[in-house]
Amino acid sequence: MSVLAFYARNSQEALGLVWQHVSLVAISTGAAILIGVPLGIALTRRPAWRGPVLGLANVFQTVPSLALFGFLIPLPFLGGIGARTAIVALVLYALLPIVRNTYTGIAGVDPAVREAGRGMGMTDGQLLRLVELPLSLGVILAGVRVATVVGVGTATIAAAIGAGGLGVYIFRGVATVDNTLILAGALPAALMAIAADGLLGLAERRLAWRRT
Amino acid sequence: MLYTPLILLLSAGCHRSDRIVVGSKNFTESDLLGEIVAQQIERRTSLPVERRFHLGGTFVCHQAITAGQIDLYVEYTGTAYTAVLKLSPGPDPYSVYRAVAAEYQRRFGLVWGRPLGFDNTFAITVRGADAARYGLKRISDLARVAPRWHAGFGYEFLERADGFRGLAGVYGLRFASPPTAMDLGLTYRALAEGKVDVIAGNATDGQIAALDLVALEDDRHYFPPYQAAAVTRAQVLEAHPEVRRALAELEGRIPDAEMRRLNALADVEHRDIVVIARDWLRVNAP
Repeated sequence: MSVLAFYARNSQEALGLVWQHVSLVAISTGAAILIGVPLGIALTRRPAWRGPVLGLANVFQTVPSLALFGFLIPLPFLGGIGARTAIVALVLYALLPIVRNTYTGIAGVDPAVREAGRGMGMTDGQLLRLVELPLSLGVILAGVRVATVVGVGTATIAAAIGAGGLGVYIFRGVATVDNTLILAGALPAALMAIAADGLLGLAERRLAWRRT
Repeated sequence: MLYTPLILLLSAGCHRSDRIVVGSKNFTESDLLGEIVAQQIERRTSLPVERRFHLGGTFVCHQAITAGQIDLYVEYTGTAYTAVLKLSPGPDPYSVYRAVAAEYQRRFGLVWGRPLGFDNTFAITVRGADAARYGLKRISDLARVAPRWHAGFGYEFLERADGFRGLAGVYGLRFASPPTAMDLGLTYRALAEGKVDVIAGNATDGQIAALDLVALEDDRHYFPPYQAAAVTRAQVLEAHPEVRRALAELEGRIPDAEMRRLNALADVEHRDIVVIARDWLRVNAP
């Protein structure tokens, strides 16, 4: 198959792009968790913020990536061209599922369980750490899983702003009318998405199994 | 790129010979030319015209026309020569049109009309202020400042046989770092914002004048001609000779300056391309 022959000839470059791609997804999803989970928790404490915050996260989802890059280029610190801009865009895209699931998970904890915790004299922090987070971890993880799988696909657009990744092959292939190149970028991205989905699914199931 | 299969899917199964499907690539000039061609067929024939505009580049348009999903679109000779036919620029760039027309007919059953007039070559572009400060007029002037400069290029320009590698060789260009590969549309923005110092745009783009940029002259004649012309499925022209007559009225009618003006009307003044095309046809093909 011509894709395999292509990899044989360009293994060094292909591995480099795969690594870049994994890094982009890992860093952006990691940052989205660090921002999204606390944000989701905050929303359960301040219900009035829910509409505006989730609305904003929804809006980010709908902005086309090239338009988003266009806005980001002139910005100091967050913008410019290269990996940083791509990661900012990927974080914005990953936020919605994580924030929403964190909020839904914690808001879905049985009020009776929460009351029992309070009755035992738990502080707000203890309640969060010992009751609410453990009980909603499955739902939060499901959000992370969606964000990661979608992120693997979305990260191909990093190539539009000089940040590398498997999108490089896809963009090159589209620019030069070359199916082999497009597949050389799209196939490993698809495999990566399936692998990420499988791994995080496994984690989810083990979590569910541990609790029963 | 994601909607390629979708478009092919949507247009599949509803194909018929009494309707002309006009395609265009995903940039302003291609949309404009597609609209001019579409309106011209509507004015001169009784055939209904369907528009499938802004398809994802050369690749998608070529796939669509060879699959019979679109009947015609406007292509550039240099692009067809290097990107589709994969030929490397020969010693005689002016035979490009003849070679492309013959090969398209033989391999794909596609007919090239005569060129519309302008030549949309790659434009090696810098900021106007830099051009004035360093006295840059021609691409060969660039070699002096290149070692301190950064370049940002679209994927097409970086990959094509008639793109960056050959250019760097012919003009002896060495930049401070390897050129950043990015989306073509974003390169103008990056240049204007000072994130890169030199880009490769298209000679007829409206942004060059609008963003106060300067296109350098290709003084060593490195780039092959990129003459635009309508590419049509031979079957369609046989079934509807009136389409050929309608298209013939447009041949040679759009010189470089005119194409730049039309692009600027769309990109800079944000006028509707349907109106631009209608006004242009009224004056130039009455």
